[in-house]
Amino acid sequence: MIAFIVPLAVFFAVFFVLPLALVVLASLFDPVLTGSNYQELFTSPLYLRVLRSTLEISGLSTVATLLIAYPVAYHLYKQPPRRRTLLMTLVLLPFWTSILVKSFAFTVLLGQDGIINNIARALFGQDTALKLLFNRPGVIIGMAHYLLPFMIFAILTSLLAQNRDLRRAAEVMGAGRLKIFRSITLPLSMPGIVAGCLICLVLSLGMFVTPALLGGPKDMMLANLVEMHVRQTLDWGLAAALTVLLIIMTGALSAIISHVRGGGLGSHG
Amino acid sequence: MAAMGKRTLKRPSLAEHWFPALGIVAAIFGYVFLVLPSLIVIPMSFGTGSELVFPPRSYSLELYRQYFQESTWMAVTGQSVKVGLATMAVSLVFGFSAAYGISRTNFRGKGLLTVFLLSPMFMPHIAMALAMYLYLSRLGLVGTTFGLVAAHTLVTVPFVIVTAFAGLRYVDRNLELAAATMGAGRLRIIWKVVLPLIVPSIIVASLFAFLLSFDEVVISYFISSVQSETLPVKMYSSIHWEISPVLAAISSLLTVLSFGACVAMSLLQRNDQ
Repeated sequence: MIAFIVPLAVFFAVFFVLPLALVVLASLFDPVLTGSNYQELFTSPLYLRVLRSTLEISGLSTVATLLIAYPVAYHLYKQPPRRRTLLMTLVLLPFWTSILVKSFAFTVLLGQDGIINNIARALFGQDTALKLLFNRPGVIIGMAHYLLPFMIFAILTSLLAQNRDLRRAAEVMGAGRLKIFRSITLPLSMPGIVAGCLICLVLSLGMFVTPALLGGPKDMMLANLVEMHVRQTLDWGLAAALTVLLIIMTGALSAIISHVRGGGLGSHG
Repeated sequence: MAAMGKRTLKRPSLAEHWFPALGIVAAIFGYVFLVLPSLIVIPMSFGTGSELVFPPRSYSLELYRQYFQESTWMAVTGQSVKVGLATMAVSLVFGFSAAYGISRTNFRGKGLLTVFLLSPMFMPHIAMALAMYLYLSRLGLVGTTFGLVAAHTLVTVPFVIVTAFAGLRYVDRNLELAAATMGAGRLRIIWKVVLPLIVPSIIVASLFAFLLSFDEVVISYFISSVQSETLPVKMYSSIHWEISPVLAAISSLLTVLSFGACVAMSLLQRNDQ
């Protein structure tokens, strides 16, 4: 039986463990054995700034995602199963859509002559010009769109797991829908909210495409800095140190996720 | 909480009155936000090709013609299909056999091994991109299709394993046992008993693997060369440097592909239950 596992185990040793070991080595030894790559990460103003904007963008996107996702998950939860499956398509379509298609669509939607600005001009007069592209709002809109399906799945799962008798009991006792929501549904869906937020944080910390295509120079995240070092400054040691830092951050968060719900990112499939 | 209860019972507040309607408005906003980017590209793809405006001033198939006639776009699309199919094949074989081995045996460290084999799922693509880049450049394999398939397999195999576990859970082990008692060898049991029972999972896993590979951009961007460039890498550069209208046609085709995949998945998963 072990023979069935060996091919993949060997593949992982050769194409996963060795490459990652190489990253750790490069972070320590490139150019010579030194801790200076790591020291520079935590002292140079550039790295501190990028680290801060990575955390800010990830946090803000997660909050924005939660605010948009909750009403959708709640609405899906309220639907009869058949219609829920149908409406789920609206969540699954973006989930399966290439991030490049989304980024391209957002550059058109959010631009100076994009639809959003055209609507804004129609509503608030010809002088209105919302700056939504190549800046912080652009990155957050794009990231929230990427993260939404993951958050919706997490919250919907915990909503569907709730005991419906609790709601019914509250209804019988005369509680209104807001009251039921506030004192039963919302508190009971907290595990879903926590799991969803952690997943979104893991996914957003390592984000590369969205900040590169929808953000400006001030919205550079860790992943973009790694690319800059590999492609422009050719400083592999620093790129490796940044990557190790990123792996530690996302790894710690992932460990918390598995701990919280005994599963992992995989359960969204 | 008790005090709040009394207040609500006495007189439904304004908030209580508006809550259901506000909830629906917020949900509709969410749905529109979710599908807007995918839907916007379709009408734009029928524009005339010189500028990207919505709605287009006039309609034509010009952008599709540009896409299908330009050899560079065709070349990168072909490369993506090739890498996607190869990745699919490799990750199906590795993933399903590993999942079968793990689900049919008990040994110390089984849980740990499973977590390890699923761990690329939690790893940022940029980390795997740098790791693969450093590694493949030592081996002189940067820019090769082999390198792309190896890297993509790492990304897709955890999803294949998860799907395989789900399918294998429903295979009655007594069937395998019965076949074994009657003298069938391990491979014959797999071929005649197990595989026919997990066909839906195999199809779902194939779709998963192909699409994940077909859409993968960050790792491919690091480890491909001009000759082995994939469609997402070319799209990335095209959005980054000069937004070409032909992207609208490509995006529409990809949206149709995603829609097909998502319908196929939900049909298969319903049959599976």
